[in-house]
Amino acid sequence: MTFKTLGAICALSLGLAGAAMAEYPERPINMVIPYGAGGATDISARTIAEPLGAAVGKPLVMANVTGAGGATGSVAVQNANADGYTMLFARVGSHSVNPAMKATLPYTLEDFRFVTVYEINPFACVVSANSDLASMEDVLARAQAGELSFSSSGVGSGPHLAAAMVLDAFGLEDAANAATHIPQQGGGAAATAVLNGTADFLCTNSSALAGFVANGQMRALMVTTAEPVAGFDAPTAASLGHPELEQMVGWTGIAGPAGLPDDVAAKWAEWMEAAAADADFVEKMEARGSIIRVMAPEEANDFIQTQYETFRKLVDDLGMRIEG
Amino acid sequence: MSFVDSIAAGLSLVGNIEAFLALFLGVAIGVIGGAIPGMSATMAVALTLPFTFAMQPITGILLLLGVYKGGIFGGAIPAILIKTPGTPASSATILDGYPMAEKGEAGRALGMALWASCTADVISNLSLILFAGWLASFALSFGPPEFFTLILFSLTIIAGVSGESLLRGALSALLGLLLATIGLDLVYGTNRFTFGDPNMMGGLNFIAVLIGLFAIPEILAMVWHPTAHVGKARRLGKNWVSFAEYRRSFKSIVRGSFIGVFLGSIPGIGAAPSAFLSYSEARRTSKNRENFGKGEIEGVAASEAGNNGVAGATLIPLLALGVPGDVITAIIIGAFMIHGLQPGPMMFILNVDIIYGLFIGLIVSSVFLFVIGSVAIRGFKYVADVPKRILIPAVLVLCIYGVFAVNNNIFDVGVMFVMGWVGFLMMRFHIPAAPFLIAFILGPLLEDNFRQSMLMSGSDPSILVRGPITWFFWAMTFVTIIAIVRAGVRAVRTGPAFGQKPEG
Repeated sequence: MTFKTLGAICALSLGLAGAAMAEYPERPINMVIPYGAGGATDISARTIAEPLGAAVGKPLVMANVTGAGGATGSVAVQNANADGYTMLFARVGSHSVNPAMKATLPYTLEDFRFVTVYEINPFACVVSANSDLASMEDVLARAQAGELSFSSSGVGSGPHLAAAMVLDAFGLEDAANAATHIPQQGGGAAATAVLNGTADFLCTNSSALAGFVANGQMRALMVTTAEPVAGFDAPTAASLGHPELEQMVGWTGIAGPAGLPDDVAAKWAEWMEAAAADADFVEKMEARGSIIRVMAPEEANDFIQTQYETFRKLVDDLGMRIEG
Repeated sequence: MSFVDSIAAGLSLVGNIEAFLALFLGVAIGVIGGAIPGMSATMAVALTLPFTFAMQPITGILLLLGVYKGGIFGGAIPAILIKTPGTPASSATILDGYPMAEKGEAGRALGMALWASCTADVISNLSLILFAGWLASFALSFGPPEFFTLILFSLTIIAGVSGESLLRGALSALLGLLLATIGLDLVYGTNRFTFGDPNMMGGLNFIAVLIGLFAIPEILAMVWHPTAHVGKARRLGKNWVSFAEYRRSFKSIVRGSFIGVFLGSIPGIGAAPSAFLSYSEARRTSKNRENFGKGEIEGVAASEAGNNGVAGATLIPLLALGVPGDVITAIIIGAFMIHGLQPGPMMFILNVDIIYGLFIGLIVSSVFLFVIGSVAIRGFKYVADVPKRILIPAVLVLCIYGVFAVNNNIFDVGVMFVMGWVGFLMMRFHIPAAPFLIAFILGPLLEDNFRQSMLMSGSDPSILVRGPITWFFWAMTFVTIIAIVRAGVRAVRTGPAFGQKPEG
């Protein structure tokens, strides 16, 4: 062995050692937001990006990859390398309602590994302020008469499932068909449909409704969290005798492709701890009605799996699965 | 609080250098963003949004509103100069703006676009300030049946933009309607014509279709026939719009502005249909209707008035009801919420200072738009002097980047090229592209609202004539169709000499 080859081997092994020791992340991380700018997911993602970027120490490159109720962006991350440099802001719609309802979705929960869930959004059920429906009993009575309609931001969206789940819990037979579902293009349109009388009833994120309730345009009949929600003068699901509805909450989390290494997940757990401790972040999120609760990777995966299974069972029981 | 108090409160909020600086900067960002093909006003607003998080609420919102208004005008610049709408709202401007640029009148077209935009902007802002409450309650009486009849009436625009042959226009519209069905079915959530590709689940990207249909065929034509343009005068010259031309188009501008205000105040329609409707109304009533589509300055005025008339009016449902009217106002409403403001009736009581601050800012924004627009035109108009063999490859690069950037999705670039070939073939066979676009925009709205109406009524069609608004639009639709048929019959009677100049 000549001196030259020895030198080469030394250099190579040093280089390898260097590569092995190089800490994740060495370069900017691509963060995919599967929904459009200005939406709940986008705002949540961009709010946490600030403290999170500081914790990560490398830039986070935020990109909205929109379309098909979050599916397009989710697929982009599903197919990315599981090296932790392409991550997804996952949402209740894209990662528990949609997989539970849509048979032909190009991904399943198994294709992702969650590193955290950091935000919980209570759901609220509302009617227009002009409506004569004053309580959940009234809603149920109208539904049993076959005259209730509810709006949603689309088939297979959170509000679609939520309304069916709530009506089912309150004892409506064949809840998926007994009430008329009038889907709309997006959350704003779903709220408008209740305001202009196109639909009677809507269950969605409390943050999307807070403005309408505060302005006296809508009346809240129920919230799904264990605690009452500030600004919503409405009983909780548990106090109406339906604690099982507490499963129906929105959330935002971060996921990578399925093969994400453990050390990357561990890093994310650290970063999220640090980011969520930022007082400014917490204040901004809570002002919009969110509950900040950072889950470790394991806890997040369990949380989403449980919610998915609840929804999946409901969908199967009510025959709401979309096969086409 | 009296009116004077409100204004004083508003002034005290915006009466600082930051607010006006933000507004000025916003309009400038908007004009530039709108002028870059594929960038679109929506994306300019989305990109600006994160910067407003740290600002005072009123400053941040004025910045976004500036970007919005600037963007809607800025889109007209590439529409006129390179046949590529910078933002979907300016698609109608292509119809007469680009032929004017081809004739060497880009300066006049751009000047008229600016004057019409600013006039419409002022009218739109004043409507917001004076009639917000009234228009908002009107907007709330628009349910799916009313929407359906409005869109049905709007489809008659196709006759107005079909050029010489109504049949070719109808064919183009059918193609547009067909492609618009791709994606998820609204009511059942099933996949339609997606061929198992997740990229198709969201439907074809609108910007990709738009740019593919208008800009790419020009590029392909250039490849096909590299020297076709040699010898054609395409210089900008020193021409500028004259006051006499403005006065001649004034009626169309005002009509277009009110069409914009009306459609803008109803959530869910947006600026592009308004521009087309304004254009087709101007053509229908103009003395120069024969010249429309061949470089008529009144056409540019009408379409730009139609789209800028929407800009102020979309704030009516936003402020008065808390409902976003289109994608851009959905982003702006996000900015309100980040700052802890809840748009809606209560805001006129709780945050009256902010409301009046916005009103003052909006009025000022029209002036800023005029100033910045004039400067931008002076800068951009030299594009018309760039030789085509240099300009066209640059446009191609811009289109590819722009379309990719909309969704960060390479599939959209593929859609753009496929639509480019479709557009090229349509151009070769003298099939107009505008009806395709209108059908592509309005088709899904028509279908969704029809099906929502049927869901509401339990499939009873009588809901489609449930009130005076629906009667009005049914009547308008029938009157227009009769007029179109009569014009067609007359054209046949006067013999083939008339209407036999298929022009691409």
